[in-house]
Amino acid sequence: MATAERSTKRGAARAATLYQALDGRGAGDGRSVDELRSAALEVYEGAELPAWRRSGFWTTSLRDLDLDGLSPRSHAPDAGIPPIVAEAIGDEPRAGLLVQRGASVVHSELDPALAQRGVVLCALEEAVRDYPDLVARYFMSRLTYDRDKFEAATAAFWSGGAFLYVPRNVVVEQPFQLAYAIDEAGTVQYAHTLVVAEEGADFRLREYDLAPDFEGQALHAGAFELYLGDNARCRLAHFQDWGTGQVYDVSTHFVRVGRDSHCTWIPIHLGGHLTRQHLEFSTAEPGADMRHRGIYFTEGDEHLDLFTVDLHEVGHTTGDTVWKGAATAKSRASYEGLIKIVADAQESHTYLQTHSMMLSPRAKVDAIPSLIVETDSVSASHGGTVGEVDEAQIFYMQTRGLSREEAVKVIVEGYFEPIVVQLEDEPLEALVRERISAKLAAAADEIEAYAAAK
Amino acid sequence: MADLEIHNLHVRTEDREILRGVDLAISKGEVHALMGPNGSGKSTLANTLLGHPGYEVTEGQILFRGEDITQADPENRAQAGLFLAFQYPVSIPGVSVANFLRMAMNAKREEPIGIKEFGGELRHAADILHVDREFTSRHLNDGFSGGEKKRCEILQMAMLKPDISVLDETDSGLDIDALRTVAEGVNKLHGELGMGALIITHYQRILHYITPAFVHIMLDGRIVHEGGPELVEQLEREGYDWLRSPSNGNG
Repeated sequence: MATAERSTKRGAARAATLYQALDGRGAGDGRSVDELRSAALEVYEGAELPAWRRSGFWTTSLRDLDLDGLSPRSHAPDAGIPPIVAEAIGDEPRAGLLVQRGASVVHSELDPALAQRGVVLCALEEAVRDYPDLVARYFMSRLTYDRDKFEAATAAFWSGGAFLYVPRNVVVEQPFQLAYAIDEAGTVQYAHTLVVAEEGADFRLREYDLAPDFEGQALHAGAFELYLGDNARCRLAHFQDWGTGQVYDVSTHFVRVGRDSHCTWIPIHLGGHLTRQHLEFSTAEPGADMRHRGIYFTEGDEHLDLFTVDLHEVGHTTGDTVWKGAATAKSRASYEGLIKIVADAQESHTYLQTHSMMLSPRAKVDAIPSLIVETDSVSASHGGTVGEVDEAQIFYMQTRGLSREEAVKVIVEGYFEPIVVQLEDEPLEALVRERISAKLAAAADEIEAYAAAK
Repeated sequence: MADLEIHNLHVRTEDREILRGVDLAISKGEVHALMGPNGSGKSTLANTLLGHPGYEVTEGQILFRGEDITQADPENRAQAGLFLAFQYPVSIPGVSVANFLRMAMNAKREEPIGIKEFGGELRHAADILHVDREFTSRHLNDGFSGGEKKRCEILQMAMLKPDISVLDETDSGLDIDALRTVAEGVNKLHGELGMGALIITHYQRILHYITPAFVHIMLDGRIVHEGGPELVEQLEREGYDWLRSPSNGNG
């Protein structure tokens, strides 16, 4: 397998774009899960802590992470749902729930009626044992382990994990919920989620990545892969809020959309000391349609580095990507969004928009849309805006009786709202609104000072 | 004493003085028109009355019910009972008209307005302005036509029930139907609630539908002539040139 080493040493040439699409590569090639683990371990041991650098002075470095100071934390299988997860997921009806705390799955439940119809929700470790053929067919077929030390670590050391299987023509109204929780400093969590949905499946899935506020470092290194069969439907949301601790998140998420299938995928990034994620969305068969909507809101000294890929592997596929971000205080956010249309994928149509809003003069947002189109007869374009809170809007709302602070809140919440409503999931929407509102309240003085100074 | 009194108001922006000593008094229940050619300072007066931060009052004062509000924050003026219908309303994406109205109404109430009460008032106001329910669920001014924006301004006015409204060139860019609807709305609020209004315009069109008791003419940052509704027709016939004679000091 070809390797693409993108981490460069200090002083080496910087490229205008930093990341590359997986573009069809995957490690799963008939090797067993254990064989893949040992191969990944070898890469891990030879790799340094990465630093990614792009021209324009963007650097994502993991070198401040004291990896040796972290350890996996194991818990009993019946340890129960940690409070941070219970608070976030609420008590609305659900199809199933699987919770991993630290290194261990501590709670797993599935609607018995769905189990009867062949739906599976269990720890990935169990699935490797109980459904070996099914797992072998998909596991890491579109994920790699050799691009950097964290990807290798995840592939070598993942534990617990989540496996969801939705059989042919099974339609599930209630959402499936997965949660990865880190509840104390010093934790390293290597996560792996595998989702397989057969032809005609129709379901919703939410993953929560959560940590309470604590002092000290922790690491979540994750892999997520979802394979959607033909004529299937999926609404997928990731809700990430790692709190105010020094939680590092280095993860790769891959979603494949099959023939005449549709997937809406909405990641929500609301907090984390340093996050570097690769989110690749592939329309892999004719008629596949993807909709990618995302939100990020960084604060304090958070560092967020997102790379999304809208990959068209065949023709007659469609995509639509819209990301909206905001940054306060001296946080850093980089959004690199790539549209890639491979050779022979004619009649693909896709559009990518990236919007960002600066809420502090000390914050920095980079938004870099790019296109690689290797064929003709396609439409692919991108657009974006970088905005600030507009004084005319503030004055307008003041003349209706709102204070400046309320007006700013309305503007920023209104900016995110068109994405929030697309979650089409009221409890999750309420959670996102509440968190955005709390972040705005925490940064209110600085946002106001910035708006007034202009 | 009038509810709103403007004394010797001088206002400048960064680069120049725009208002050069304006005196005006408006009480609840009175409809005034402020007319004048483009650039005479009418919009500056409107924005200054509501406290726009881009305009600096260098001399004079604004009193509202006896209280000096010359330096008050715009939201305090609004909560006291002043309203500005904007010439160019900005859009606020992501916020529905109804939600925005609820926030605005709650801003000057101790207890938030009940859902039923709010719904009832909104229906009533929407009927007056001939807008449907769908209109109030759209995002505020976002993608609205010129006419819809102006209707939305008057809808807000109807919901917030100010004592005195300033309508800044509300008639510009309106077709005749929209103009009639907007005028009806203003007349209704004036008739039913005794709202006072300062209607700023440089056409006479809107004044065919709303009859002001007082007409003020502004030229070069001063009010140079005042009278009754008959002035509207005189301006229609003769334009502003007769006011520019040297005796008015505006040559």
